[in-house]
Amino acid sequence: MTKLADLQACFEGVIPSIVATAAADGTPNISYLSQVVRVDDDHVGLSHQFFSKTAANIRENPHAAVLLVDARSGEQYRLSVTFVESRAGGEIFEHVRSHIEAASAQTGMAGIFRLRGIDVYRVNEISRIGSAAAPSVSETAPLPARLAGVARVVQAVATTHAVDTIIDAALDGLRAELGYQQILLLTLDRARAVLTTLASRGYERTGVGSEVPMGEGLIGLAAAEARALRVSDLSRVQRFAAAVRDTSHDENRTRTIALPGIPEALSQIAVPLIAQGQILGVLFAESRARFTFTAEDESALVVVAGQIGAALTLAETQAEDPQEAPQPPGGSREAKGAPFQVIHHVFDDSVFIDNEYLIKGVSGRLLVFFLEAYRREGRRDFTNRELRLVKALRLPDIKDNLETRLLLLRRRLEERRAPVRLVPGGRGRVALQVLGEPSIEHVHG
Amino acid sequence: MQIGNELSAFLRSPVMIIVGSVDDHGRPDIARAVGARVAADRATVDLVISAWQWPDTLANLRATGRTAVTFSRPSDYVSYQLKGRASVLEPDAEAIQLSHRYMSDISGVLRGLGVEDVHVAAWLTHREPVIARVEVEAIFVQTPGPKAGQPLAARAP
Repeated sequence: MTKLADLQACFEGVIPSIVATAAADGTPNISYLSQVVRVDDDHVGLSHQFFSKTAANIRENPHAAVLLVDARSGEQYRLSVTFVESRAGGEIFEHVRSHIEAASAQTGMAGIFRLRGIDVYRVNEISRIGSAAAPSVSETAPLPARLAGVARVVQAVATTHAVDTIIDAALDGLRAELGYQQILLLTLDRARAVLTTLASRGYERTGVGSEVPMGEGLIGLAAAEARALRVSDLSRVQRFAAAVRDTSHDENRTRTIALPGIPEALSQIAVPLIAQGQILGVLFAESRARFTFTAEDESALVVVAGQIGAALTLAETQAEDPQEAPQPPGGSREAKGAPFQVIHHVFDDSVFIDNEYLIKGVSGRLLVFFLEAYRREGRRDFTNRELRLVKALRLPDIKDNLETRLLLLRRRLEERRAPVRLVPGGRGRVALQVLGEPSIEHVHG
Repeated sequence: MQIGNELSAFLRSPVMIIVGSVDDHGRPDIARAVGARVAADRATVDLVISAWQWPDTLANLRATGRTAVTFSRPSDYVSYQLKGRASVLEPDAEAIQLSHRYMSDISGVLRGLGVEDVHVAAWLTHREPVIARVEVEAIFVQTPGPKAGQPLAARAP
């Protein structure tokens, strides 16, 4: 017998579900639904947005029928249901509301599809509708195989201890074990309320340093709401907008780095990284195929994101306790290459090296601090602990993710082939490699 | 109740057709139809329905005759709902041809919107076709938005 739990692919909101009700006099009514969710093993929740006839009918006659379509196979199921109650709050309501909001935001229709309530129905019977189509073969690996894949990703993350190796293990693992092609990992800059790309896989540009404001798009919403969000069928409008954005970007003019993206993406998923109740960032994946990410993928990413969050938090904490320097810090200058010019815009801490935009925010301040210490004292070795004590860096508090800021700066310098680089100097330490003599100019206003 | 020219053309175009019905105990059901035609008198609409795929709906229509039929255009969600009384008839040759043409046309429309053929094949079949002849009593606009649910026209009491 079919159970609600077997119908997971029907609860994706890709192909509209339909509800039939009847008035007291027996006149039927049909309505399309944007969302049907499984409440528990015996109940479903139907979104209530536009049509009031359904709402009026179920108060006269609580019996209804729901037609669901499995978004993967196209198979249809009919549920015989009885109305129980309407909910305008609570976990299920919030879950559906944020999914509708995410879908609306991604299709440029934010605010239009307001959710009025969730109508909860008891499921009396589930019937599979006969299909004239040949039975289709599921393309995804069966659950036990994917669960084992998730376990291998989690294990790979757990066996490493530095911020950079944790992130690489997670992203490489998600590609190898779960087959995700395009992945972003973003870290939250709490003071500026933006998410910054720390690492990516599968894009032409890595986009390290690109930013998404909190609450904006699927990534920003996932962070703002501390909730995993999925979109399974993006509109043409959104794709067009993304294509325009991608082709008209100039880092040096806008002082921003374009977020990597595949303009023709049809499926996206964003899962917040949470540790100790704090949002640390967002793990994001996208695909050119419709309906790539199911509820099962969401569960898998929540597990991996939890492990990344815990591992990053631990790495940050350990970095507060620096290892002894592996070798005495070199007091002498090493610059052998051509001199270079650094311009620091004080208002947003954006930094340009030889007129090329590099980075801004905390990472920009860090770079300027390093280069000034180098020019003044020839220093190349620093500990996280001393960076915390430098007032000019304005590191908000010990919870600020200094290690991820340093990694962001390190990767951006490498990517831009900048004449200054950061190298890990052991736990809680960072060392500077300077390839030429820098001149530094601070621009105010 | 008369169906105007514009609506008649819409009902006969490749749009998704959903049939609501109700049994003797007031329990509703849902089915899909595979083609519609409007009678010369403009007062009845014939729907082709697979008795193999939707036996319960046809049992309901035979028992109570009460029906609501939604016609919805997949490209822009323009939708109308007809309400009325249905009787179930054996199909004629024209109705069977109509259902073949409908399935080919709607599959093309849905394919153009990115829906896979295998999905369409799971939803639509004219296996064991019958006709549900609906005497239309009321017509409602059901395009999502502020006008949803408003009567287009209704028979005078």
